[in-house]
Amino acid sequence: MDRNFCQELLGAIERADRAGAASVVDDWAVGRAFTQVVPELLSPTLESFGTLWSQGHNGVSLATGYVAAKVAEDVLSRLLRESSQDGGPILPAKGPVLLGNVEDDFHPLGRNMVAAFLRAAGWDVRDLGVDVPPTQFVDQAEATGARVIGASAMMHTTAKNVARIREEIDRRGLTGKVQLAVGGAVFKLRPELVAELGGDGTAASALDASALFERLWQRSLNLDPTPLRALP
Amino acid sequence: MQASGQLDLPVEYLNSMLHMVPVKLEARLQEAIEAARRQDPDRDVVIAYGDCCGHMEDFEAEPGTSRTEGINCCEIILGRETYRKLRREGAFFLMPEWARSWRQVFVGQLGLLGPCAKTFMQELHTRLIYLDTGILPVPHEELAGASEFLGLPVEILPVSLDPLLANLRQAIQTADHHD
Repeated sequence: MDRNFCQELLGAIERADRAGAASVVDDWAVGRAFTQVVPELLSPTLESFGTLWSQGHNGVSLATGYVAAKVAEDVLSRLLRESSQDGGPILPAKGPVLLGNVEDDFHPLGRNMVAAFLRAAGWDVRDLGVDVPPTQFVDQAEATGARVIGASAMMHTTAKNVARIREEIDRRGLTGKVQLAVGGAVFKLRPELVAELGGDGTAASALDASALFERLWQRSLNLDPTPLRALP
Repeated sequence: MQASGQLDLPVEYLNSMLHMVPVKLEARLQEAIEAARRQDPDRDVVIAYGDCCGHMEDFEAEPGTSRTEGINCCEIILGRETYRKLRREGAFFLMPEWARSWRQVFVGQLGLLGPCAKTFMQELHTRLIYLDTGILPVPHEELAGASEFLGLPVEILPVSLDPLLANLRQAIQTADHHD
């Protein structure tokens, strides 16, 4: 009987079993081109996991979300390794985009997961880390040409620093051209804060971040297709 | 602080595990504030919490209500600068109650099991820091268990309750002015 690798991989993620997930990926790769791992195994599995996550399914916890992100990272690392050995093309790059926790926020987990899922979807992610001041976000957007900044905040107190990033974007005349995606626990609890604090959009989960970034990137291009000014 | 006469006010304690589900914490806090108001409508209410749920600011905006300053209990105890410095160094803090119930937090609530627990914590943190207020004996056995399970060294940091006391007194004053 043919094995259902997507279901097996999903099962390993639901058990928070990273090693078990790696073993499923190894078995899948036997006799297959690893370049197909994202469309044939990783994406459909993460899509199913995303559905369970959005439904608040019993087997989905913070730990399983973390393991899902780690599985995505593991698969991408192997893909990059094998692609570079073959001299073949590395993953399609979209972006670059920036991610960081707002100033005073020291909760990297959600951001790390978003970074992993964005990379799995082919984005060139520049991760600025935790406690990032508004000027650093916008300096880096200008320096790298990132049209989307992803800012993460866990609590209302720290989420207010999203408004300072908004001000910095507007002050430099980059309104619309640099889109501001926001995420973190407080935005799930209080979605009205997204607009109130100047965000351009949010995603229901880390797995939905890529679709959000696609929308925002396109919106930026529609508003102003010229590249961002690079710092001297 | 009550026992030493530094503070004199009735205190209601809520289950700290509510922090794991902020929506439940918010609902329970709302009930507790309403119950306190019913019991004595003229008495101010001080919320000795960080920014632990989505609408904390709405609670403290009510007349006769105020909150301790700080984003969470560790910052309230340590002060902003020390808290920021240690967080930047990758510290994960354990207060006395969470040190005793670490398994419930990490396994029961977060679902961390087996090697996943170690990689999860080691990726995000460099060490555990137990904030020793000196009121309860240091739970060495539980800390050793947490350290082993999470794969992080543990450090015991003696802390003074003076910043908490000053913070509470400030909050009491603010509630007075807020009437």
